[in-house]
Amino acid sequence: MSDARDDIITVGLLAEGTHDPGVPPAGIRRAPTGVDGLATEHLIVNMGPQHPSTHGVLRMLVELDGEEILNAEVTLGYLHRGIEKLAEHRRFDAIATLMDRGDYVSGIMGETAVALAVERLMELEVPRRAQWIRVMMAEINRIATHLLWYGTMGLDTGAMGPFLYAMRDRETLLDILEAVSGARMMFNYVRPGGVVADLPAGIDAKIRGFCDAFDTYVEEHDAILSGNEIFQARLKGVGVIDAEKALAFGLTGPNLRASGVDFDLRKKRPYDAYAEMEFDVPLGTTGDAMDRFSVRIEEMRQSNRIIRQCIEGMPEGEHTAKVPKILRPPTGEVYASVESARGEVGIHLVTDGGTSPYRMHYHGPSLYALQALEDLMPGHLLADGCVMIGSTDIMLGEVDR
Amino acid sequence: MLPDANEIRTLLAGSGVSAEVDTVALGTVARVDAADAIDALATLKADGYESLVDFDGMDTGEAIELTWRLRSYSMDCEAYLKTTVPYDAEIHSAWNIYASALMPERETAELLGLRLAGHPNPKRLFTTDGIPPLLRKDVPIRSVEEVKNR
Repeated sequence: MSDARDDIITVGLLAEGTHDPGVPPAGIRRAPTGVDGLATEHLIVNMGPQHPSTHGVLRMLVELDGEEILNAEVTLGYLHRGIEKLAEHRRFDAIATLMDRGDYVSGIMGETAVALAVERLMELEVPRRAQWIRVMMAEINRIATHLLWYGTMGLDTGAMGPFLYAMRDRETLLDILEAVSGARMMFNYVRPGGVVADLPAGIDAKIRGFCDAFDTYVEEHDAILSGNEIFQARLKGVGVIDAEKALAFGLTGPNLRASGVDFDLRKKRPYDAYAEMEFDVPLGTTGDAMDRFSVRIEEMRQSNRIIRQCIEGMPEGEHTAKVPKILRPPTGEVYASVESARGEVGIHLVTDGGTSPYRMHYHGPSLYALQALEDLMPGHLLADGCVMIGSTDIMLGEVDR
Repeated sequence: MLPDANEIRTLLAGSGVSAEVDTVALGTVARVDAADAIDALATLKADGYESLVDFDGMDTGEAIELTWRLRSYSMDCEAYLKTTVPYDAEIHSAWNIYASALMPERETAELLGLRLAGHPNPKRLFTTDGIPPLLRKDVPIRSVEEVKNR
């Protein structure tokens, strides 16, 4: 495709020969020369921060030639709370609440990353039951996250129904998460050394019931959208990120795997009890939006498999190691990363022997996905741009931090 | 997975970068001079570290320490590159080598008070003009007025 920015001419009041260029005109219009000599006006549109397709408070400045995106620039900061700075003034067991407000849809994974970093510094041995509970909660949270993405992905492409189906299942999952942790979104459940509380009585029947029902439901979710001709037309071949580009932009998680790179931290750098779990890592081939969709749908099936294994083989024992009330890790520097629903969440923790971190860097996968989007969107239609934003599943809470 | 420290030292020395490479709790860390950082990144990328997965900085109290976290998917390992720059220093962008450095560099420069050279879009990323570099240790979490009025 030729770059339409190369042949911009001035029309209207500023057009050559019709008006004195030195006089400020009432309305300046820049337009490219069309093939047929007819020009289209360039529009600079602020997409967001309240646009429903921008998934939170993303603001994109897009330059449009008709329906075609010429340029896209991301404007961030609407949700910047300074989590990294706040963490420097928190006790180590209180950072989990900040992580919940980072990626606020998959909080358990963020909490786990901090817990792992502190445990690595203090060389804490986490009881086996605690590790299994963490894995189970993370996978429940992963399905809940993917369901929210699935529903909004449908909305982005004009399908209202799937959102309602997704919310039905997500509701059950949030009920389970609430029964275990006490909260539906801001869990504050995973702490250094284990988890806050043991599983409540009778929860296994509820989880087992969900697993059985979800076996059918996930097929339903898959069929409703994947089988839809319009949906396929909107996603196939749109927003292709090949493996090389995915690596260049530092993508991780489902976005990377959709490009065919086999890398899942749960398999390659097993933490908690993931080494004991049996599951497959779905991969895409072309790296288009449809691949990213299919990878996430398959991940939901695999997460369901892991949850079932957890509930069947949950070991007996303590839910937390014996940890002091005030944690005081020795001076050191570690990096702990977990496979969150959106990719790799990393915690770079530096301590100076005090009761709070000297520096905590919170790495979220969505910032890197956004950079890829900026590169990806030019040259595509605006409606395809919405599909790209939806399919990369960005979360502004962890972009801005 | 940890790469061999000696290998990285030899590799960097081959391209004229003297580095202190150690395997510590963080992983295999190569420390280079600020002037050599870009060369070191280019060398590591050519060696198979295809992806820059994280970039951040820290105020050590005396200077700013920058950390690049590189991952090689072909060798299945991670390596860290560290360098120290003075306060308010100008750092050269690595976006030509790793495109993923674009936004993290803007974030680090803004939150730690550095200047970016060779960056295609060296604007602030999160905060507005007039906000001090928040991650510096001398920037308090609350302003003096706020503490007084509590």
